[in-house]
Amino acid sequence: MIFWLIAIAVTAIACVALFYAAGPRLVNAAAPELDDANSHFRLVLSGIDADVAAGKLGEGDAEAARGELAREILRHNAEATRTRRARGELGRVPLLGGLAATAVLALVLYAMLGHPEMPSQPLADRPEAAAQSVDLESAISSIEKALAANPDDLRGWTVIAPAYLELGRYDDAAEAYRRIIALDGATPDLQTRLAQSLLFATPDAGSPEAMDLLRAAAASDPLHVRSRLYLAAELTRRGDYPAAIAAWNDVLALSKGDEAWLPAAQQGLVVAQNDGVDPGQGAVPTSGPDAEMIGQMVSGLAARLAENGGSVAEWTQLVRAYLVLGDTAKAQAAFDSAVTAYPQAFDRGDLDSLALGAGLTIKGATP
Amino acid sequence: MAGAGKQVSIELGHFALILAFAIATLGTIGGYAYWRSGQRIAMVLSQAAILQFVLVAIAFLALIQAFVTSDFSLLLAVNNSHSLKPLIFKISGVWGNHEGSMVLWIFILVTFGAMVAAFGRRLPSDLLTLVLATQSLLTAAFTGFTIFTSNPFLRVFPAPLEGNDLNPVLQDIGLAIHPPLLYAGYVGFSICFSFAIAALISGRIDQSWARWVRPWTLLSWVFLTLGIAMGSYWAYYELGWGGWWFWDPVENASFMPWLAGTALLHSALVMEKRNALKIWTIFLSIITFSLSLLGTFLVRSGILTSVHTFASDPTRGLVILALLALVIGGAFFLFAMRASTLRQGGLFAPVSREGALIINNLFLATAVGAVLVGTLYPLLLDALVGTSISVGAPFFNLTFGALMAPLLLVLPFGPLLAWKRADVVGAAQRLIGAAALAIFCTILISALGGVSISLAPLGLLLGFWVAFGAFAELVERSRIGRMPLGESIRRLVGLPRTVWSTALAHFGMGVTVLGIVATTAWETELVTTLNPGETAELSGYTIDFDSFGQQPGPNYMADEARFTITAPGGSTRQTLADRRTYVATGMPTTEAAIETYGFSQLYLQLGEPLNDTHVVRIWHKPYITLIWFGAILMALAGVISLTDRRVRVGAPRRAAKLASEPA
Repeated sequence: MIFWLIAIAVTAIACVALFYAAGPRLVNAAAPELDDANSHFRLVLSGIDADVAAGKLGEGDAEAARGELAREILRHNAEATRTRRARGELGRVPLLGGLAATAVLALVLYAMLGHPEMPSQPLADRPEAAAQSVDLESAISSIEKALAANPDDLRGWTVIAPAYLELGRYDDAAEAYRRIIALDGATPDLQTRLAQSLLFATPDAGSPEAMDLLRAAAASDPLHVRSRLYLAAELTRRGDYPAAIAAWNDVLALSKGDEAWLPAAQQGLVVAQNDGVDPGQGAVPTSGPDAEMIGQMVSGLAARLAENGGSVAEWTQLVRAYLVLGDTAKAQAAFDSAVTAYPQAFDRGDLDSLALGAGLTIKGATP
Repeated sequence: MAGAGKQVSIELGHFALILAFAIATLGTIGGYAYWRSGQRIAMVLSQAAILQFVLVAIAFLALIQAFVTSDFSLLLAVNNSHSLKPLIFKISGVWGNHEGSMVLWIFILVTFGAMVAAFGRRLPSDLLTLVLATQSLLTAAFTGFTIFTSNPFLRVFPAPLEGNDLNPVLQDIGLAIHPPLLYAGYVGFSICFSFAIAALISGRIDQSWARWVRPWTLLSWVFLTLGIAMGSYWAYYELGWGGWWFWDPVENASFMPWLAGTALLHSALVMEKRNALKIWTIFLSIITFSLSLLGTFLVRSGILTSVHTFASDPTRGLVILALLALVIGGAFFLFAMRASTLRQGGLFAPVSREGALIINNLFLATAVGAVLVGTLYPLLLDALVGTSISVGAPFFNLTFGALMAPLLLVLPFGPLLAWKRADVVGAAQRLIGAAALAIFCTILISALGGVSISLAPLGLLLGFWVAFGAFAELVERSRIGRMPLGESIRRLVGLPRTVWSTALAHFGMGVTVLGIVATTAWETELVTTLNPGETAELSGYTIDFDSFGQQPGPNYMADEARFTITAPGGSTRQTLADRRTYVATGMPTTEAAIETYGFSQLYLQLGEPLNDTHVVRIWHKPYITLIWFGAILMALAGVISLTDRRVRVGAPRRAAKLASEPA
């Protein structure tokens, strides 16, 4: 609506300006044409005089020029008399008609082509883009106030629980999920969320309650992936590798092959199979007997890959392991071998970003 | 209201463009219907021209704002912008695409229209009405084309969070300068066109008409000269081929209006001074703008594939072709109907200033014809027969060169000939000094350079001849050597600025010719593989490849090669050539390292990485900057000529002041 007001105002201003331009001449419009021409000829004449005065034009030339000018004036006057008869000033009716037609044409065309209801959306003002920076805290505190007044507001808890989780307020999140379950009954999703909150709240200690919740969720829905993922991850963390391997396999069995969580699950399985050592993650000790053991494992992987080759994922694992161990030279060598084995950048996928991000260079491959 | 304005800025811009279209449409109809009706319609159309300017400016600013604020609810911004792009490229990206460049075109068109309205109050009202009606016709045609086939204000819902970025080749300061200059040149000639149409309809064509047209011709010509020179330099440094002119159809498309505009500039001179060549001047005005339109058509229709072709849409091509046919066809029809009723003016002998300017016009017009044939023939053949041939540089170099050589040969004579009837022997005598100097310089350079028998010395001779000959008129009119020096200098200072501008423009032409000849004849090139630490040598320059590394830019990753260049004189310079890969598009560009030594340049380009080494192309381009330097001199001469009293209509005060000065 505001747009149409502005558009109509702009159109009105334009029309008034055009009408005004015709205005002062409405009273008297008697042949100013001739004055125009005469002043022009006077200008030419004074130009000739000035040239003579400045010595740029000889007297003879000046005489000729003046003669030519005189003939020009005569011709012009004859012509003006001839054409003046056809004159008749532009009247009010065609002028107003033209202005009305202009306004109608513009407004109708715009109505057909424009999107008056669509506001501008500068990136800085976009809610999606601003979601990260939007004042979440104040939004939450207002919901909290509402919940304090009405603790049975299911919708309020449902909104605030994931926000707590997002903000890292895990105890509050757990409390919120408990409320939701109490108000609305348990579902595998809610149980998993609650377990997630509990586990995050005590990252090192673990939580038997959470494990129970996850098992319950998995049991109640044989296709529930999320609960199984957390279960497997927690088992791995606790060092219960045989159970973890079973749990990871359990999750992987549910995969169709294109899920976002699939790489993480495969990685988890590898870690569990390696008795808790993630050849790809930084959480490995770099000194002491453990480091020695890891070093042996990595060199075992390197030897196997050097001998039999392997998948891009395995090469990635090896490069990452070297990088974690701080052995850039070997990482570069492993990367070079991977590039030789997979010369197409397309096949190497994330390996390139890992390697280039860590300061390695691509050699000898087609870009 | 301001907040609301910001909220609806894109739609307001859209509406402003449509309102401008409506005003232009009604203005055209009203103007042609009531042009005999005196002052009132002229005042209304003047106001309409200024309104069109304001409205299109609003539309243009709305687009710029959307790009600057990364408003991806605008399809144009999605397709051509990116939130990470530096601010200057966000702004220039507005016209780095088909739709936006049409808005720029229209913006410049209405700017010129508003200038006519603002400065044209003294014009006879019927002429003013017809000129503005014709400008309105062009505005309506191109605004309509833009709104209906290439609307830049299309919206996207829901808006994506990121845009697709601008073609990396266009992410350069050149895009901020080259198109606006070139368009100002192209579009400026629309004023001459409108004046020609007004003259044909009203039958009013006299010296005052020529006085009115000449400043617009000059202004447009200055812009076009700079625009072409800038485009040439941009292609030279950005495309990484080291060439400065490719006879690419798109380049030809801008060059043809320049040639025709140059001819127009000279013929308008004859008309202004001698009231002769009227019909020819009208014809050239139409031709020049028609060639500008043809250029726009060739570039915008997608017929040609080049960096200038943003989108190929056959409908657009057809619509532009129809517009072209309407405007050009209409103009020529009018010309055919009315030209015979125009009165021919001033008589003159074949050997005279007028005659020399006719020679100039003949050669330039023929050159336009040659370039036109070379540009259109392959296109027509392809369209009609389906045979694809390529008319390349050899054709143009031969035909164009063959036409320009005699023109350059007689060029210095022109300014020395008197109007009406002249003495060619006398002019030749006055040029002996320039000729001797040119021959001396040529022999000197050839001897020093050890040039073998080739065309190069002839080219040099021609260049020097034009350059030195340009000053013959100054020497002649100041009577240097025949008078006390002080008196000569006083005379020099007192000369009309047009004499100076003529000399400077012709000198600039000579300088450009020298640059072309020198770089063509003595350019050296080296393509080699280099690794950091290695060294190459070319034409006495030593190039050390210091290091190679990766460096992130704002929206690209760059492979950077650093070089140290040691000049023959021993001075060293650090320089940097890189290859950039743009994040959003993955497209690569090369940024050549160009070092200027005097007027010569050393040009280094980093090629693709190749098995542990780097391909490096190095060119030594002797005196290449003279090409653009000459163009700048020509443009400067145009500006000087513009400031001359003679072409500033409506400045009686200055004339009066001059008259009161003691002679």
